[in-house]
Amino acid sequence: MASNYTYAELLADNAWIRKSSDIFYWQCTTRTVQESKLFPVNPYIALSYYNCWYRYPELLRKIDAAMPAEEIGDRAREVSTGVNTIMLGIIQQFYLGGRQFLMDMGMINATDGIDDMKFVLDFTRRVNLGYHRQNSYILNSDDNNKGQIHPERTLQVFEADALGCKPGDKLHNAVVRFLATASQYAFLKNCECRLGINNSGPYKVGNNEMLVRDFIDLAEGDYPWLDGVTADIEYNNLTLPVIMKDTHFNIVDDWGSFEATPSYDHDNMIAVGLYTSDYLSNGYLPVHMNNASDLADYLDHSRETMATATSELWKRISGWSRDQMIDAGALVYYAVAKDLAHFAGVYEQNDWMQLEERTQRLKPIMNDEYGNHAIAELVGYITLSSQQNNPYNMNKWSDQPNDMWSAIPYSVLEGNEWTASVGPIRSGSTSLPPKTQKYTTTQGKLTQDECNAAARKFVSGPVAAGSKIYDDSWIKYNYASPEANNLYKATQENSRLLKGKGAGLSRADIDAIRIAAGEAPLGG
Amino acid sequence: MSQPKIIDDKWGKEAMMPTVEFYHAAIRRLVAEKFAASGKTWEEAVVDPSLELTRADFENIEQQLLATGYLFETSAQISYIEEPNKYKPVQGVGDSGTQGKDAQGRLIVGTGDNVFAAKDLEGTARFVGTVDVVMDMLINGVPEGTIAIIDDSGGTLTAPILEGFAGVVCMGGTIRSHLGILTREYGIPCLMASELDGLVEGDRILVEYSKGAANAYAERDDAARALIVKIS
Repeated sequence: MASNYTYAELLADNAWIRKSSDIFYWQCTTRTVQESKLFPVNPYIALSYYNCWYRYPELLRKIDAAMPAEEIGDRAREVSTGVNTIMLGIIQQFYLGGRQFLMDMGMINATDGIDDMKFVLDFTRRVNLGYHRQNSYILNSDDNNKGQIHPERTLQVFEADALGCKPGDKLHNAVVRFLATASQYAFLKNCECRLGINNSGPYKVGNNEMLVRDFIDLAEGDYPWLDGVTADIEYNNLTLPVIMKDTHFNIVDDWGSFEATPSYDHDNMIAVGLYTSDYLSNGYLPVHMNNASDLADYLDHSRETMATATSELWKRISGWSRDQMIDAGALVYYAVAKDLAHFAGVYEQNDWMQLEERTQRLKPIMNDEYGNHAIAELVGYITLSSQQNNPYNMNKWSDQPNDMWSAIPYSVLEGNEWTASVGPIRSGSTSLPPKTQKYTTTQGKLTQDECNAAARKFVSGPVAAGSKIYDDSWIKYNYASPEANNLYKATQENSRLLKGKGAGLSRADIDAIRIAAGEAPLGG
Repeated sequence: MSQPKIIDDKWGKEAMMPTVEFYHAAIRRLVAEKFAASGKTWEEAVVDPSLELTRADFENIEQQLLATGYLFETSAQISYIEEPNKYKPVQGVGDSGTQGKDAQGRLIVGTGDNVFAAKDLEGTARFVGTVDVVMDMLINGVPEGTIAIIDDSGGTLTAPILEGFAGVVCMGGTIRSHLGILTREYGIPCLMASELDGLVEGDRILVEYSKGAANAYAERDDAARALIVKIS
């Protein structure tokens, strides 16, 4: 019996595989090889890919049944969570990485797990389309490495409420110190990977540009190793819209990383805001944004809290066994999809914080050298046997006859030489201590069941006001309508300067409102 | 009946790295043996749990490699600590005895790619490469004027003490590595991808942090690299 694929569907999925393959190669070769003398990084990365291959099909189906992928993408645009550019851009990459390793080892063929493949590829495409709807692309790389995630109504609030600063003043100093400490802490809690940091933008602010900088999973939450040592961190996610002069962000890539021309320089920062948000928040909630001094004091407080957490967490991690370091790192990678489950209200710790037996069995070969070399061959050199194509073929970037991820053979359209699935997920385990504390959310510290119950009944203000159907292309001609005003007012609900202003504001109006409030306009 | 890829991959080739080739080839052979002995079609065999490779199979494959006397390269310190018989020890900085000298006749003990332009800095070279050293500095403080010599482009080993360094010289990575990103955020002068020769613990050094920031997209240019000069 032939697979469930139509020819058109398989053409589209193989194009998605190829796009993913090409962009992952570009990202991996233009960023940098990850390394750590503390964590066995590449062994844990390699191991995580297997867990993705074996577990994603069932867990993503569970999420999709509770809330369709594209709707999660929609909702995620209203807030900053783990459903963001970097996480969404790599879910299918890690899954396909597991497939490629297993193919190269001869443990599966390219024709295996076809129903799973069809579902995972479709799911990851839909969730990215939903999230990236504002620019109608699927990845930032499609948009010449721009991350245009937010609609006008969100960006107007960010611009209007941003607090001015200049080099040497209290707020500027506090922001610079905070960004350094938060970045340091993010790398440590994520076991050396960058998944805790994300950026979107740039967004045009007159002659200046805005970058929206996110720090994710900061507090006691899904990662059990944060329990206790991060108890004093109040917010799980923090977002800083930063407005810069004399700076063009020429790259905001598929990993949410940025580059600027001229090089990013804090001295060009002219205004900043601070917000928290999550899957249970009514959009972005301002944090200590009453005035510049209040915000500076809070950033200093938050920086000190994170610095303490960094020291305590480092002491904890430095006492771990190699097995524990491998488990934690592999779980950070594998769990890039976990926040989808939070939005859908079906998050279970054992789904996302365990390595199942089919993954665990591969640990004996995950020494440092094999891990480093296997990952280098898979995503850098593209030299594994299974990655080689016919000798006339030229890779998009390297011109070599290879591709990172193998396509699905069209033979599955006929006959029965294919298999459907890796089967149900199996029991998992971890060498790490179990989670003991509650989850930090914008609705307080909640148990897992409370998180899921709250998520299932929660609809944020902008979503209730029609954010799904009233996009910017509709607003353009209907900004004076009651529906548009309701949507903008829902987004402005917690705004310092725009509360209740509605949908008719222009950028000149934002300038005027700031001037009336005694604050400088930010457009340059 | 389709076959697992053992010998009939038209365009396949050996992996580039010997460890990868050894493991993957051994696994392919084992899968093929189990498949052939099963008498099943591939589609039946691949979903049969009784034919799956086990942890013992992977342990056996690793033992086959170790039995040849092979030792693995060490990346994370914990790997060598837990299994010193499996790993090569980490090598320190060598001394060729052929170092060049700067215009003032001082020994050039290294060069590196500058993360951002700052002022030249004189300080004391201290190797920060183990958990024990970091823990000591965490408890007792980072000595003033420390230029940390780090063989780790990551951002986690030195996480709790990074802010205390006067400067950093990293023997790996690129200016876009995590350590490069963090030192730029903290405003700590830093050289990445440094090559050292004859530098030892406690040396007084002058690092040319005033050199322009390295171009991440350019080919290597030795003239653009910052110098590390031994003062005493």
